[in-house]
Amino acid sequence: MSVVTRRHEEIQETVEEELPDAVLGIEDHHNAPAILANPSRVDDVVRVLKQNGYNHLSSVSAVEYENRYESVYHLRRITDDREDFDEMNVVAMTDKDEPAVKTVSGVFKGANWHEREAYDLMGIRYDDHPDLRRILLPETWKGHPLREEYDVDQPQYTTLEAHANPIEERYEVDDDGDLDTMFVNIGPHHPATHGVLHLKTVLDGEVVVDVEPDIGYLHRCEEYLCERLNYKYQIMPYPDRWDYVSAGMLNEMAYARCIEDLADIDVPAYAQVVRTLAQELSRMAAHMLAVGTFALDLYGELNVIFMYAFKDREILQEILEDLSGQRLMFNYLRLGGVAYDLPEPREEWFGKIREYLDEVPEKMEEYRNLIERNELLMKRAENTGVLEPELAKEYGCTGPVLRGSGVAYDVREVDPYSYYDELDWDVVTYDGCDNLSRVLVRLGEVEQSARIVEQCIDILEDWDGEQEIQSKVPRSVKPPADTENYTAVEGAKGELGIHIVSDGTEKPHRFKIRSPCFSNLSVFSELAEGEYLADMIATLGSLDLVFGEVDR
Amino acid sequence: MAGAVPMTATTFTETVADYLGGELSPLAEFGVALAGAALLATILLGVVGLSAVWLKRKLNARFGDRIAVNRVGPFGLFILFADSLKLLSKEVVVPEGADGFSYKLAPILSVVAVITAFAFIPFGSGLQVADPETGLIFALAFASLGAIPIVMAGYGSNSKYSFIGFEREVAQAIAYEIPLVVSAIAVVPLVAVFADTSAPLRMSEIVAAQQGPLFGIEGLPIPNWFLFAQPVAAALFLVAIFAEFSRNPFDLPEAGSELVAGYLTEYGGVNFVLLFLAEFAAIFFGGALFTALFLGGGSGPFLPAFVWFLVKMMAFYFVVQWLRATVPRVRIDQLLDLGWKYLLELTFLNLLLTAGVLWMVIT
Repeated sequence: MSVVTRRHEEIQETVEEELPDAVLGIEDHHNAPAILANPSRVDDVVRVLKQNGYNHLSSVSAVEYENRYESVYHLRRITDDREDFDEMNVVAMTDKDEPAVKTVSGVFKGANWHEREAYDLMGIRYDDHPDLRRILLPETWKGHPLREEYDVDQPQYTTLEAHANPIEERYEVDDDGDLDTMFVNIGPHHPATHGVLHLKTVLDGEVVVDVEPDIGYLHRCEEYLCERLNYKYQIMPYPDRWDYVSAGMLNEMAYARCIEDLADIDVPAYAQVVRTLAQELSRMAAHMLAVGTFALDLYGELNVIFMYAFKDREILQEILEDLSGQRLMFNYLRLGGVAYDLPEPREEWFGKIREYLDEVPEKMEEYRNLIERNELLMKRAENTGVLEPELAKEYGCTGPVLRGSGVAYDVREVDPYSYYDELDWDVVTYDGCDNLSRVLVRLGEVEQSARIVEQCIDILEDWDGEQEIQSKVPRSVKPPADTENYTAVEGAKGELGIHIVSDGTEKPHRFKIRSPCFSNLSVFSELAEGEYLADMIATLGSLDLVFGEVDR
Repeated sequence: MAGAVPMTATTFTETVADYLGGELSPLAEFGVALAGAALLATILLGVVGLSAVWLKRKLNARFGDRIAVNRVGPFGLFILFADSLKLLSKEVVVPEGADGFSYKLAPILSVVAVITAFAFIPFGSGLQVADPETGLIFALAFASLGAIPIVMAGYGSNSKYSFIGFEREVAQAIAYEIPLVVSAIAVVPLVAVFADTSAPLRMSEIVAAQQGPLFGIEGLPIPNWFLFAQPVAAALFLVAIFAEFSRNPFDLPEAGSELVAGYLTEYGGVNFVLLFLAEFAAIFFGGALFTALFLGGGSGPFLPAFVWFLVKMMAFYFVVQWLRATVPRVRIDQLLDLGWKYLLELTFLNLLLTAGVLWMVIT
């Protein structure tokens, strides 16, 4: 009996002992066992799990069945130790007519937004939720679109009044009526939001008193779409559209990992190496963009850091284009491998990458100089947007945002996939917890990615076995009925997870995307409140949000 | 006329009178002054227009390793005309609820304030429109006048971004006004000594005092520019003038990433052109002030004084663009801290020191 299995049994016993009437049974999900919880006691179950080390709520996923709704909670341990890493699921079943579950937002603050999303799209009511409003769709929306019964053809009216701009001269803040404040709408169209984010901001002079992110402007029904497409061919182009700035390969890997795991598809070793190579190139490009746009938010001008970063990213973009034929929407991964072999002549292509990699340490040093030896930039980036590690875990922050707070949680390290396990690289952390640390983490990760890429090239150059880019995958992929799986990969912004529920057909019954940006944004209010307006914008930049991924 | 005219301070009217020989009638004097003003404004607008659109883009592109405009005309120079044509042909839109009067008046006033300020600048080669005894005070007064149109624009726009922008402008202008004036005044005692004049505030005298070698020591290769004679004041003045005209790293009233465009947010078309022009003219005015006060005005070998003056102004502009590409914006609290807690004290200290040292040397 493996360590993990033994731990699972122990924790199940603990939960059953402590809460005999809250646990209804144990179910088996593909990734980990699931505790069936009494919907009105689910918060207690999650709390006991949290106390026993499952300190990260990855996602809350709502699933509809013929006779019931399920609210599925994916819990993980945030750790830098592979032995210690573990997953656990909690399922709360509710009846079909009046689906209601007790909120877990009292246990994990990050659950707040996840539950709002589940309410918005699936219509599950979360009792005692502090703020159960729609999150992606407008308040006036009729129906819950992921439900079977939802009528796609019904007219939806979003009146102007519903979106009236609340130009309030004075805005009363709950805890202090004496403050003389001003309400400002920042966005949805604003230079600093990198897309479409609406920040309902209350300012007291220059200080942010209250800010509420309003998302959903880029909601493109990605989950709904994926549930209507087949696994084998049709879903793969969509991940590219989530985190659409250079990180496409990583998103594709998130989907590929989940379904290959569930449908038991093998990937040849050669394809694994190519995948790893493609992913790390993608990550480097995405991080270069993040560093550049952070500088853009501080300066508000086309500045040196931004331009250098974009120039460096451009080279990576060309390399990726050579590989996949596309600059951003790669559509390169396939179930069981990749779409094409490396571009020929491959020596030339390797040479191109090596040329770039040789310059990476020098370039990163230059970026560090540009950032750390710029007195004014340091004054702006240091000790602003401070995210304490405990708060970060509470909100489910992952990726460079979490590692910038000194927590070395990296899915590649604790839950390895592709070829990462065979390669030599380090997890980068900084413990400044501020905007600067988050940027430095990204610079460090570019260096680490460069190391991985170099090793991948070495392996590929010396490859003497069969260069098999795809395993034999049946024409129609049908995972076993009534199985479900949640797996995650380390995307450019953090833990990018996919939850697939299979009903035995070639299309997913439920396809839930756990977006790292979504969770990272949910902590934003906590960071921004009490800061200066300018620092709020800088903090927003350092979180590196891509709204294609937040809104999906 | 350039080159032929001696470096001695004369206004444009006097230069013309010298040429024609004898006194001008008051009416003719008025006409010549007007012509001088027109000539100056034309040169300035040409320089400003060119650099605002083209040079700025080119410089910033070079800093960021880019190419920038190169399609419209040689080196993309005609982009100036393309841009002006585009902006001037746009409809003038006044936002709903705006205070139309101040909204429309602000752009005109801002240009008027800054162009008028140039009247006091001794460009050398006899190209100075007015040279009153209190020239420096006038010039500094016009420099701070630029804040008023910004307040009008920000308040009149009925937009919250504009509102925050003008609030910042006011806070900034007040904080940096005193350091600006006091650091400029620090050169006045030196003028009184070196130029041996009873009107040390006269701009032409300030330039005249900076001719010759440093501290009047014969044979020294360093010119007597106040940059060398009074380096602390020069540094403080530079910081203050950047803040006064809201250039990076003090461009808070515009703050691209926070306030969209600050007080400019609601402007378009010709009104925008005017505000934009005023903003760039202000950079050159800052450059002109710095050149006259600290860089010896038009002094320099071979070339006519006027050309030297423009070269130094351009060098100042280059520094402005350099900072724009490399230094991020400071936060409002940091800005006010710097202004009130450091700059103010340092400027006064410097002024007292200057006066003390001179008093000891003279007596």
